[in-house]
Amino acid sequence: MQTNKDSNKFLEMLDDHKGIIYKIVNSYCRDEEDRKDLAQEIIIQLWKSFDRYDSRFKYSTWIYRIALNVSISFYRKEKRRSEISYPLPENLFSVHANDDAEEKSYLTKLLTEFISELKELDRALIILYLDEKSHKEISEILGLTETNVGTKIGRIKKLLKQKFLQINKE
Amino acid sequence: MEEQEIINIWKSQEAKIEQSLELNKKLLGEILNQKAQSALQSLAMFKTRGIIAAVIYLIILGFALSAAFINYSSAANYFIVSIGAIFLINIKALYDYIKHLIWIKNIDYDGSVTEIQSKLVKLKLSIFAHSRIIVLQLPFWSTFYLSGKWFPQTTGWGYIIFQTAFTALFTYVAFWLYKNQSIENADKKWFKVLIAGSGGKSLVKAMELYKELEGYKEG
Repeated sequence: MQTNKDSNKFLEMLDDHKGIIYKIVNSYCRDEEDRKDLAQEIIIQLWKSFDRYDSRFKYSTWIYRIALNVSISFYRKEKRRSEISYPLPENLFSVHANDDAEEKSYLTKLLTEFISELKELDRALIILYLDEKSHKEISEILGLTETNVGTKIGRIKKLLKQKFLQINKE
Repeated sequence: MEEQEIINIWKSQEAKIEQSLELNKKLLGEILNQKAQSALQSLAMFKTRGIIAAVIYLIILGFALSAAFINYSSAANYFIVSIGAIFLINIKALYDYIKHLIWIKNIDYDGSVTEIQSKLVKLKLSIFAHSRIIVLQLPFWSTFYLSGKWFPQTTGWGYIIFQTAFTALFTYVAFWLYKNQSIENADKKWFKVLIAGSGGKSLVKAMELYKELEGYKEG
């Protein structure tokens, strides 16, 4: 059984890596309520696995694996989710208003939209690539060979560039 | 747009997150200490209820079957064969159900994405196989009430023709459903209605992922 000490350690670790969860949730869910549910589900699964965490891997690798696995399988549990999940009384994450340039925000939105249009595994791959993970680390997280990772990334990058190009033309 | 520009757009999001994202630790603590466990228990309960229902159903069938064996007479032949077949098909269904429970309980998301997703797809396909086999009991529900004492020797041709047509129809429907409940028909409306009760509603999406996983293996 995990102790309070463990839960403090867990929360600390989570706080250090909260951005990973936030980005993955945003890339896999468009609906605000779904995002809250998905974030909760990811955290529950992380907590469940926390005592089995293999220290040979970085915390970030471990979080990516669990968060991506939960996110990919999340929509497929839609019906069951309503039976097992509890509505969140408040938000797990709160985002303060920021003063980003409008253009930057527009491009971020576009990129997030393009990513959310990708297939499930392609989406996982590009998130890791954009987070500047090495091919080795991506292959560990996804369970692919480094060569396969390289080929797939090349294809997705081309696709993203085309999408931006199309927008520029319009 | 160049590659580095795309990365920079993504990174700008990261900077925003670092500055503005706050984790609600109090709420998280609450979830970790209470709700995670309850959520898992609910999931187990959801599946366990199905198992209890199936076991009760099998006990009733088993009682009926043993009563027929104990007080055996040739009159009960139709009953024994029909209920026996229904019993066996439902045993298989129960076995599948328990297999699902074990798989769900054993899913540890801490594994490579392709490995874990393959496991989850297998689970979906097994639910599908389970829903397929259950239709094979259908013809036996059209024969269990017949008695060797009066069928077919004391019944008229009219009834024999009716009974044969009735069982043939059930058999046809069962085999049609068994044959056509295939992945190729997964996007058809009647298919979705049929498998909805077996938790297979999202089979289509699982199959899409399956194809994607296969594509990833091929490189």
